[in-house]
Amino acid sequence: MDDDSKGSHLSVVLDLSPTHWELSSRDAPENTYPLTLATFLSQLLAFLNSHIACRHENTLAVFGAFPGKSIMLYSSSNAVLDSLSTDVNANSYPPFNIVDSTVVQRIMTELDSLEEHQEEAPTALVGALVKALCYVNRITLPTSSNSKTQSNGFHPGVLPDPRILILSVSPDLSTSYIPIMNAIFSAQKLKATIDVCQIYGPNTVFLQQAAHLTGGSYIFLERRDALLQYLIMSFLPPPSIRKTLSVPTQEQVDFRAACFCHKKIIDIGFVCSVCLSIFCQPLPVCTTCRTKFPMKTLQRLNAARPLLATGNSTRPSQSRMSTAGGPVTNNGVGGAPAAPHGGGQIANGNTNGARCVFHLG
Amino acid sequence: MPRRDGEYMGVDSDSDISVGGERKGKGKDKTDKRKKDKAKTKATEAESDHLQAAYTWEASYTRSWDTVREDEAGSLQGAVEDWMARGRRRRLLAPAAPVRRTIIRHLVLLLDLSTSMLDRDMRPTRFDLTLQYAREFIVEWFDQNPLGQIGIVGMRAGIGERVGEMSGNPQDVLKAIADRHKLEPTGEPSLQNSIELAKSSMSHLPTHSSREILIIFGSLTTCDPHNIHETLDACVATKIRVSVVALAAEMKICRELCDKTGGQFGVAMNEGHFKDLLFELIPPPAQRALSRAAGAGATNPAADLMMMGFPTRLPDASPPSLCVCHSQLRSDGFLCPRCLAKVCDVPTDCNICDLMIVSSPHLARSYHHLFPVKPYSAVLSMADASTSSGCHGCARVFPLVALAAVSEGMSAVGRYRCPDCRGEFCSDCDVFVHDVVHCCPGCGQ
Repeated sequence: MDDDSKGSHLSVVLDLSPTHWELSSRDAPENTYPLTLATFLSQLLAFLNSHIACRHENTLAVFGAFPGKSIMLYSSSNAVLDSLSTDVNANSYPPFNIVDSTVVQRIMTELDSLEEHQEEAPTALVGALVKALCYVNRITLPTSSNSKTQSNGFHPGVLPDPRILILSVSPDLSTSYIPIMNAIFSAQKLKATIDVCQIYGPNTVFLQQAAHLTGGSYIFLERRDALLQYLIMSFLPPPSIRKTLSVPTQEQVDFRAACFCHKKIIDIGFVCSVCLSIFCQPLPVCTTCRTKFPMKTLQRLNAARPLLATGNSTRPSQSRMSTAGGPVTNNGVGGAPAAPHGGGQIANGNTNGARCVFHLG
Repeated sequence: MPRRDGEYMGVDSDSDISVGGERKGKGKDKTDKRKKDKAKTKATEAESDHLQAAYTWEASYTRSWDTVREDEAGSLQGAVEDWMARGRRRRLLAPAAPVRRTIIRHLVLLLDLSTSMLDRDMRPTRFDLTLQYAREFIVEWFDQNPLGQIGIVGMRAGIGERVGEMSGNPQDVLKAIADRHKLEPTGEPSLQNSIELAKSSMSHLPTHSSREILIIFGSLTTCDPHNIHETLDACVATKIRVSVVALAAEMKICRELCDKTGGQFGVAMNEGHFKDLLFELIPPPAQRALSRAAGAGATNPAADLMMMGFPTRLPDASPPSLCVCHSQLRSDGFLCPRCLAKVCDVPTDCNICDLMIVSSPHLARSYHHLFPVKPYSAVLSMADASTSSGCHGCARVFPLVALAAVSEGMSAVGRYRCPDCRGEFCSDCDVFVHDVVHCCPGCGQ
């Protein structure tokens, strides 16, 4: 923690799906704690302002994911251009004013222009996330000598501890599995942390994985009237400080895969070596890439199947606990000192049934 | 470029002459391998006037100081940036067509640990530089080939020496070459012995995985017990792909090894080029061409169905137990779905039941090889550019005036357009999207 002099960078990705925000704002019978877009924005702006206020060097970028489209709403390095148009209020701190007015204005323009569409396209969360990564990459690159960024008092090359906060309201989109995973891996490469706050709707497994794999925290918002408190308590401190703050982490992230044929979560699967499709039983032809598999392998794998049939189909955790001491194929090779302890917890993890379903092509 | 210095070459050429003298004196059977001994920079001007056109490397060698030009203000910044961007773009343009790639790779890294590695023509020494690049290579390799495995073999004192076992865990592999004192170069290298050793460690592998050998070779000799061409034929027969990065000069046998087995051969001209050559071998190789007509009906021998286990992750707070891989007491870990043994890290092969254990992100990490992003096309002039003022990815403002002179493939206005979503990107984002993210921000997939 010697980087006291440096600021930290925060990119916020907003999921602005009109449908889900409408659902979220409905009253009591459907939602215990309704949250409208307007309230959300006012709480968000308070959070953004407090990030800027924490340290003068802190930088901020805001990205919006609209149906079928993603745009950058605000960034500290391009902010000056728009500041002239906003009227100056003597009672407000100018940097806050710039952020607030720019973000709100752009969201409103975008939402207004949306009205024509009848059918709502899924939100371009991936696009916004990738843009956020591009931006992080840009400010991280030491070679860039863009005079615009420097004139703003921002020094490229100084890595300001980048992190990305995703505020999501929509559920997982199965087609976005591969892009999201790609985004996660590039975030790992950039050493950027991805934090996720699921404001409305069910848990999203993809974003859980994103937070887990990049060392960020995933929070499922239960008391949605307390959004600002969640934001400030868990997402405002940079990752280096969070170690001492015990920010909630995600324990139960399931990394098991679902087979392509029945979408069943499996723990032993058969994988095509060409396209990496996963199947729950040996097939003669890959259904994704039409590759034929040699007969010999099929026979061998079919012969091996009865051994795992018990473990594979029904997952009886009780019987597995009893076999834990003496593994099926342990041919006296060493002992298996593992696992007589953990059966109960494993079963808990499994019943949560987190899925990662993905489609190819 | 200190190695181009006249004085430096003078010092170095001593050793060269002695090698040449030996060659003329005794008609050893190894001489043919040394035919091109002097093909590297060591040829002094006096003796190589007539040879200069004979070596192919010289044709492709551009003098780097000629390509750097000052701009109007006398700054080199623009020239350097342009040169870097061009290099990066060239790398991008190559793999455009979707090809079937080998995802499950097995690689044996053959490190030359002979005395010639103590040569100082690469700073600090060839040996130290090789170790440093090998570490970077391994990290990057595992990042792009999460299901692959690497073993390490050293060549020194005439024998092949197993430095690191075949392993899918980058930490294990890195640990094998962590201690440089254990790898201190001595004696002569033996290509044959070490290739045989590498070959035997890959003999058990299934057909759908690739078998590769990467040789980092600093010596100009090899002392082999038998005919190395038999080893070469055996490599061809067992479909082992041999690639060589030579640090000194091109040897015929090295070139032949690569050509016949379908690998890549390169002579490193300087430190940067050495790294480039090494890192070119990281992306998974395209699978050997199958005849399309036969491919539809016939069984593809390179394709196979693999049984894989998806483990259960134990949370950090679970009660500690011993792991089967290190016999250490730990609380976190993964349970093999078949035998319920606890392993520390995935992907790996279960130590007890030999099941391949992967987690779904590891599979996902390989998908980008299968679904690459289409290359962006350069926007050539201001007239062609769209109205957007900033990059579609990072919102950097595009330059308003076109550069006077740009090379082929580069955009004068600094814009690169996605063929699908028509979004325009800056060169940094172009490289970032294709090299790292593998997902176009505009298309969002």
